[in-house]
Amino acid sequence: MTMVAVRNLGRNKLRTLLTMCGVMVAIVTFVLLRTVLSAWTAAADFAAKDRVGTRHKVSFIMPLPKRYVQEVRDIPGVKSTAIANWFGGKDPKHETEFFATLAVEPKDFLDVYDEISVPEDQRESWFQNRTGAIVGDALAKKLGWKIGDRVTLIGTIFPGDWEFQISGIYTATRRSVDRSSFYFHYEYFNESPQATQAGMHDMVGWIVSRIDDPGRSADISKAIDVKFDERDVQTLSMSERAMNTSFIGMISAVLKAVDVVSLVILAIMVLILGNTVAMGVRERTHEYGVLRAIGFLPKHLVVFVLSEAVVVSTLGGVLGLLVSYPFVEKGVGLFLEENMGAFFPFFRIDPMTAVAALILAAALGLVAAALPAYTASQLKVVDALRRAG
Amino acid sequence: MIPISYNVRSLFVRKATTIATALGIGLVVFVLSSALMLGKGIRDTLVTAGSSARALVLRKGSDTEMASGLDPNVVSLAMAAPGVKRDADGQLLGSPEVVVVIAMDKLGGADGMVSNILVRGVPPQVMKVRPEVRIVDGRPARPGTDEVIIGRGVRGRFKGLELESSFELKKNRPVRVVGVFEAAGSSFESEVWADIETLRTSFGRGSSASSVTLVLESPSAYDGLAAYLENDKQLGLEPMREAVYYDKQSEGTSLFISWLGGIIAFFFSVGAMIGAMITMYGAVSQRSKEVGTLRALGFSRSEVLLSFLIESSVLALIGGVLGAVASMGMTAVDFSMMNFATWQEITFSFDASPGIIFGSIAAGGAMGILGGFFPAIRAARLSPIEAMRD
Repeated sequence: MTMVAVRNLGRNKLRTLLTMCGVMVAIVTFVLLRTVLSAWTAAADFAAKDRVGTRHKVSFIMPLPKRYVQEVRDIPGVKSTAIANWFGGKDPKHETEFFATLAVEPKDFLDVYDEISVPEDQRESWFQNRTGAIVGDALAKKLGWKIGDRVTLIGTIFPGDWEFQISGIYTATRRSVDRSSFYFHYEYFNESPQATQAGMHDMVGWIVSRIDDPGRSADISKAIDVKFDERDVQTLSMSERAMNTSFIGMISAVLKAVDVVSLVILAIMVLILGNTVAMGVRERTHEYGVLRAIGFLPKHLVVFVLSEAVVVSTLGGVLGLLVSYPFVEKGVGLFLEENMGAFFPFFRIDPMTAVAALILAAALGLVAAALPAYTASQLKVVDALRRAG
Repeated sequence: MIPISYNVRSLFVRKATTIATALGIGLVVFVLSSALMLGKGIRDTLVTAGSSARALVLRKGSDTEMASGLDPNVVSLAMAAPGVKRDADGQLLGSPEVVVVIAMDKLGGADGMVSNILVRGVPPQVMKVRPEVRIVDGRPARPGTDEVIIGRGVRGRFKGLELESSFELKKNRPVRVVGVFEAAGSSFESEVWADIETLRTSFGRGSSASSVTLVLESPSAYDGLAAYLENDKQLGLEPMREAVYYDKQSEGTSLFISWLGGIIAFFFSVGAMIGAMITMYGAVSQRSKEVGTLRALGFSRSEVLLSFLIESSVLALIGGVLGAVASMGMTAVDFSMMNFATWQEITFSFDASPGIIFGSIAAGGAMGILGGFFPAIRAARLSPIEAMRD
């Protein structure tokens, strides 16, 4: 019987085609919006489970004394530590391009962030050159930087022109770091007059610790904070995942809005589908009357209507997915990764999203057709036959 | 011309289809209008803060107040620049301010959620420098004390930000909230204002400032002031019109919202047009006899075309008006989000304007016309004899 329903689709090819297009557009929009959501929250999902971040308790713009690092390293459970300082540099040739610039201690940093992958020779070259820097592959591509280039950055927080040399280009082996950052030597920053003038000599922005047991991140974080609680400068530690989650929380309203809108598009899809099915049912009232007269039961009519709707919606869903992959990942995704790489380092369709889209397309076909199907089943044979068209 | 009443009556005959299609277009117009209102709200909030009658002075090279730091002698030199207005008592209308961003616990969110609040240390004359700021609850803070006033946008959103409560700026530095202020809907309403000395001692800032805000004698006095300040390279200052500063700040955030809104609007519109198309094709095929009759009566092809175009636009406009009216309800909603430029959380609102509302309705109408175009052509090309035979 489903086959009969399917063949019915060919009766009004234009309408079937348009409806499938409608479903396709709705599904592509749905996938795009969900991907925006998941790309943003990916920072929390893919955050390293075995890293804990420690920063100033009061404000993220206030620094910690560098000597705290030794004490953090002594806390049981901490395997290795690294420091980082937010530098706030800008490329004068591309003033509007935002990217993170951080002063770090190279060996420790690469140890703690082992997903930052740098070829051996570039690594060594960076270690040797105090003015050297490693940059993400996406950033290097966007700004046209190559290994060996001398670049000058303008300091927005620490004024002046800062000279660097590109020692290496890194790639990310996991999604827990972005590909658009600029890392240079902490020593180079620390010895500068600007650092001293800003009261930042021997001060660090935050400390990152690699811990031995991911399950104990909350305990270890607490242990770190307790240690510095009585000092003048107190700390706030939490797992990298918690840190990213709270950061995402700051834009939670936007995420919520995107979430709602992605559901609204599905509602619109149901309306379009339902409308189409209802029109079809209305047109075939006479035929349904004939079918009932020759012995088909109401439930058969329901199956006819439902299966026709589900086939259209599922086909539309499949089409939507087929269009989504190139459009979202290659089109929009590439654009975002290159231009807003700091916020969207990885714009890929989550498999869960694809599965959900397909299931929703089919299920909503059912939902949309429910009312018209019921109407069809309730037809009185005599009335139906009386209708001419 | 075929009377419009024919179209309107036809719409009512097929109630369910009309409602479904109108709802669909209504939803699209609702989303479109809301997105535009949010974009406007963001620009209004961030841009209102800046006035063209004021100049903001930062350290050269710093993009934001947070990143800038000015020595005390530089501050006094900036205040003494030509073009700065004096009040009735002859006092210079300039306000050196210290800006700090602190983490505070959010209320009403998940446990332990913190967000960033901008705390501004202000001198006693700040209210004269920013006359758009008014206390709406409680009273002003007394200079030199631990009293603070909070912006209307953050009241009740964070732990400790309510009248008569106190919170700690940092350990052992408590402050008390004595008043709530509004500032013409600008981003200042998302800030906490404390006494500048209290903030300086709490955060060890000595006598320095993050920025100096100067009231200009007149908007045209800016050029003279800027030239004076920029001429002395040793000062290392960067003056700008306050309006320009806030404009730049809002760029990133509002651009992002516009981009997101634009993509959504585009796809939704396509969906709505497809919906309208399906409906109108259905209408045309269902009423082919009527169309045949109309043509036999003497109405021309173009009159039939026009009639169906009118029908689809009336349908779209019904939905559009519904959607636009519903979107007006969004003006009561407050939207708080992080300003990408300064990392602080700002409260935005959805700002309606006649342009946005009517524009959205018009967009809905356009969707109806575009969607109904091909079906209308088909109706116009029906041959009367065949149509009547159907």
